Amino acid sequence: MVALKLIPHLLSWAGILLVLLRGYSERRSVVMKTSITGFTGGVAGAIILFRTFPETIPFGSIKTALAVSFFLLWVFSVAAVYSSTARRVPISRRGRFVNTSLCAGAVAFLAGMVAGAICTCRFPATASNTLTFIVLVLAAGALAYALVFCVRIIERLLPPSFTVSPSGMLIAVVAFLLFSSSSILRLDLFSPLSMKVMKGIHDFVHQFMESILIPDHLFVRSVVWKYIGILFSKGVGFWGGMVIWFTPAFLIVLAVNFERLPSVAHIRQGAQRRKLLAAAIKARRHRLVIPLLSVVILAAAAYQSSFPSTEYWDPKPIPISANQSGEIIIPKKGEVNLEDGKLHKYLFKQGDREARFFIMVTPEGQLTVDLDACAICKPDGYGQAEGSVICYYCKTLIPLETVGKPGGCNPVPVVFSVKGDNVAINGMTLINTWGSTVQATTRVKEGGK
Amino acid sequence: MAETIIETNGLTRSYGDICALKPLDLQVPEGEWLSVMGHSGSGKSTLMNLVGGLDRPSDGSLRVGGEDLLALSEDGLARFRREFVGIIFQQHHLIPYLTAVENVMMAQYFHSVPDEAEARTALERVGLGHRLKNRPGELSGGEQQRVCIARAIINSPKLLLGDEPTGNLDNKSTIMVMELLKELRAEERFTVIMVTHNQEVAAWGDRTIYLDDGVLVREERMNS
Repeated sequence: MVALKLIPHLLSWAGILLVLLRGYSERRSVVMKTSITGFTGGVAGAIILFRTFPETIPFGSIKTALAVSFFLLWVFSVAAVYSSTARRVPISRRGRFVNTSLCAGAVAFLAGMVAGAICTCRFPATASNTLTFIVLVLAAGALAYALVFCVRIIERLLPPSFTVSPSGMLIAVVAFLLFSSSSILRLDLFSPLSMKVMKGIHDFVHQFMESILIPDHLFVRSVVWKYIGILFSKGVGFWGGMVIWFTPAFLIVLAVNFERLPSVAHIRQGAQRRKLLAAAIKARRHRLVIPLLSVVILAAAAYQSSFPSTEYWDPKPIPISANQSGEIIIPKKGEVNLEDGKLHKYLFKQGDREARFFIMVTPEGQLTVDLDACAICKPDGYGQAEGSVICYYCKTLIPLETVGKPGGCNPVPVVFSVKGDNVAINGMTLINTWGSTVQATTRVKEGGK
Repeated sequence: MAETIIETNGLTRSYGDICALKPLDLQVPEGEWLSVMGHSGSGKSTLMNLVGGLDRPSDGSLRVGGEDLLALSEDGLARFRREFVGIIFQQHHLIPYLTAVENVMMAQYFHSVPDEAEARTALERVGLGHRLKNRPGELSGGEQQRVCIARAIINSPKLLLGDEPTGNLDNKSTIMVMELLKELRAEERFTVIMVTHNQEVAAWGDRTIYLDDGVLVREERMNS
């Protein structure tokens, strides 16, 4: 069952291999060798990272690699559109370099390495000793070899007229990697991208419009804010993220579509001339398949990110009350075992005021009590999955190691004390903390960042 | 010595119990104008359909332009017809709602890509420069046949097949069409196989074969 989780990741890598083998049809041997080496190296490197550093560093490194590849895709897509539509493009060395063995090998190696590292992220806690490490790396090598062999057979079945342009190769590689990573919460790029857009709009509105453009008059402010409030909605962040996510793919589709056809004016016989032209148009049409397929893969990645299949641990808050001295007393090992590493939610009511909070033990063994809300988002609460808690509103992942520390989208820590086998929280402090931080963010409709 | 463009050995075509073409051995050198004569049902059109890749033989071998037509798949045969053969029919088979130039462009479209300038030139070559935008219904029989010729030669075929192309034409138009074909053949150097009932039309060729009940009964070489 555990191995089944690897299938989408391996299929994604197989997709990358297929595209690279066809794109570098004259350098298949180089692509095959470097892909296997890259994949095995990626698995080995990721295992070493997970063994050596806390989980935030390996996940962060892989996520950075993905973000850099996405940024490169943006640059490359703009360049591709420019070179296919500009009237005069100087003969650059870039075109020649893209077709060298060095470039083919580098692309295959890096793509394989990131794909291997993503696969390893499925099981970050593996390889606790050297022998297991060696066995895992050898298994990864064998798996990579078998997969490359199978993909080579499939690639032979494709028609010869099916070619892939360099920009098509890049979009396919990045799209497959993003698809593969989007199913792992801590590697997902799409949700953070949407949030960045929303935060950017929020900052722009506050720092620019609020302070400069909107007249400081009660009536004007309320009317204007009614409309500006739309900019704070989650939809704006989502669609803004979609634009950034898909633009490179559409640019590459345009670039391929506008690729110049070969000059056939020197061919005297009309039929021969038209035949060459038709072949060039057909090849160009085939080269559109991969960028269009990449759009679908990116859409699947965005869907996977927006509707993750991960099941969060999200217990129903247990109603709790304070004793006569105003203290909430919760036994560490009562009906609920607070030290089982999971978050446990409670709901405290005092009059018409209420506060939601959770208690959990971090991987370092630190007991922590936090509000089920952060200081900046709408208080939709948190769920727990894959070594982190997630803010349901903005989908930000908070590593378990940092729960209990204030700032950003972290749950707001609550002062508590341990009395014997019990956790004691002052009810009034809890209500006030909730009131002073969380409720302040819900004044504006839709609230949040 | 010209190379052989068509070579058949024991070429046979049967439709159930009826044998339309009995084992036929035939060689046609490249560039030759071959006329095929015979009564109705003698196997002339069957032979032409086989040579043009429109039909498959029941038995025997058939090589045209170095290609073994029996070994070709349906796609291969379509490519062969597209790139190697031009056909002129007695009934024209022009698309009635398209203009003359569009009818020629249709052949270009199925071959590769349409090129209006080239289609116009082809129609000008057959003397229809002034009829480019006319639909088939607005053209005379001879003019329609000339559109067919332009359509047949637009893709520079190596082999031009005519299935009684002058059958519906009067004498004057017949002569005009035959002169045009002769002229084009001299320029393009394609091989012509012309099925006809008309002895005078057959006489335009280099050689005439006579079929009777699916059998080659006689062969006659014309004086140039």
